[in-house]
Amino acid sequence: MIAAGHHDPFVINGKRLSSRFFLGTGRFPSPAVLQMALDASGAEVITFAVRRVNLESVEDDSILQHMADRELTFLPNTSGANNADEAVRIARLARAAGLGNWIKVEISANPRTLLPDPIETLRATEQLVKDDFVVLPYTSDDPILCKRLEEAGASAVMPGGAPIGSGLGILNPYNIGLIVEDAKVPIIVDAGIGSAVDVVRAMELGADGILVNTPVAKANDPVAMARAMRLAVEAGRTAYQAGRIPQRKYASASSEAEGIPAPLYAASHEGSQ
Amino acid sequence: MKKLDDCRLYVITGENYHPGRSLLDVMERALIGGADILQLRAKETPKREVLAQAYALRELTQRYGVPFIINDHIDIALAVGADGVHLGQDDLPLAEARRILGPDKIIGISTHHIDQALDAERGGADYIGVGPVYPTGTKPGRKAVTTDYVREAAQRVRLPFVAIGGITLDNVDAVLEAGAVRICAVSAIVGSEDPAEACRTFLHHIRLKQMDHLIAGSTCTVCVNGREERTSARTVLELVEQLNLSGKRMVVELNGEIVPHERWGAAPIADGAVLELVHFVGGG
Repeated sequence: MIAAGHHDPFVINGKRLSSRFFLGTGRFPSPAVLQMALDASGAEVITFAVRRVNLESVEDDSILQHMADRELTFLPNTSGANNADEAVRIARLARAAGLGNWIKVEISANPRTLLPDPIETLRATEQLVKDDFVVLPYTSDDPILCKRLEEAGASAVMPGGAPIGSGLGILNPYNIGLIVEDAKVPIIVDAGIGSAVDVVRAMELGADGILVNTPVAKANDPVAMARAMRLAVEAGRTAYQAGRIPQRKYASASSEAEGIPAPLYAASHEGSQ
Repeated sequence: MKKLDDCRLYVITGENYHPGRSLLDVMERALIGGADILQLRAKETPKREVLAQAYALRELTQRYGVPFIINDHIDIALAVGADGVHLGQDDLPLAEARRILGPDKIIGISTHHIDQALDAERGGADYIGVGPVYPTGTKPGRKAVTTDYVREAAQRVRLPFVAIGGITLDNVDAVLEAGAVRICAVSAIVGSEDPAEACRTFLHHIRLKQMDHLIAGSTCTVCVNGREERTSARTVLELVEQLNLSGKRMVVELNGEIVPHERWGAAPIADGAVLELVHFVGGG
């Protein structure tokens, strides 16, 4: 495995991860499909949300009931939080479940775009780092903000490619490129990915990983899409390492110009003279 | 003698409801059934006859250890050594009656309005009657005060009060529901085929409601995930068990503080507690 093998380690906060593909667990058609998609994705880090237990229906199962036998790293998110304090509260609730201290800070400022609130995200990151969490903030694709989050102690920074669930892909590849260039912690492109093409794009821009949920869960065949994206991560990462050719305005022939046999037309013309 | 505070079933004589049966016989049946305070009321009876009945009932109630009250006739009460008197709004004023009877006799006052009840309380009555809850043949023409007044009395009167007036086995639950803990009945007891059985049934209803109150008294209201819940749980662990959520991987926050799983059994729940029970769901 070149994607995250011995020659290309992927480490977050000292933990060596086997896969650069983080999978979200929401909106799958069934727990069984989620299980199969998880297998197909090869993901080792999975995300989930913290919500109230439904008192009406005790059967309403926690997502974790289906994850018991797997060796996974859990990355709960703070979705539903509108500010830093709420995010910190949710993070503490999540940590109290006893499944580690990783937290994805997710503070949406606008219900239509679900775009993250950069100021509250930074504030929450600062607080949670002080509180000994391993903090992975989901944030806008702003290079300066991403740097500030890194400086605040984020263990990885997760800029969005496009709004959550939009499937619009990497709207600002230039920014993602800058973010990756400057980063000293892993950059994981989170949100906005639509299909495998966007995954390849993100990885080729130099992202260290991707976090995907909706495009897998809501694909016609979530299991096949999980596999496609795993392959895309691998393809994109390998291509990034391989080093692409520069883009240029005009063609550049694949073969040298020298030694091209003389054109037939020219020969016959000469002969007729 | 039974203390007034402990009395639950107040029975009043009503000879017109049991023609052909003797007063003493009917009242003894009521006492056998558990009536625990007895009043002699005989508005139309000549006073000498009332006196004779009073002597007989004094002896009977003494035997059963039950307080004996005389309606209206303070002199008869004093003569036979009754435990107290019961006075209507038009009878001798409370202060006068107290002066005559002294501090130790029981004085009960009929009230039909919360103002009368509070007056009686301030005036030094020992208990009040609250009624007539329903229209009654014993007091024809008097407008029923309904269970609204019972409810008001239960909230505002600190004296023992007895709900009275048209109360039968068919409507007693509504009266108890309104907050009465002492019930008085006349025709439903002395007019029944078997006054002892009628008393037993009344007391059964009263005790059932008492148990409800006891249970309610030992519960508290808490807010769980935004929902008001009455619970008898004393700890987080008990509450989780009562909600059938045992064994779920959950995190509990009590009044804004996370309670670690191992401390659920030691985390007390008080009235007004706010709990959040959360778990993990699918998410990106």
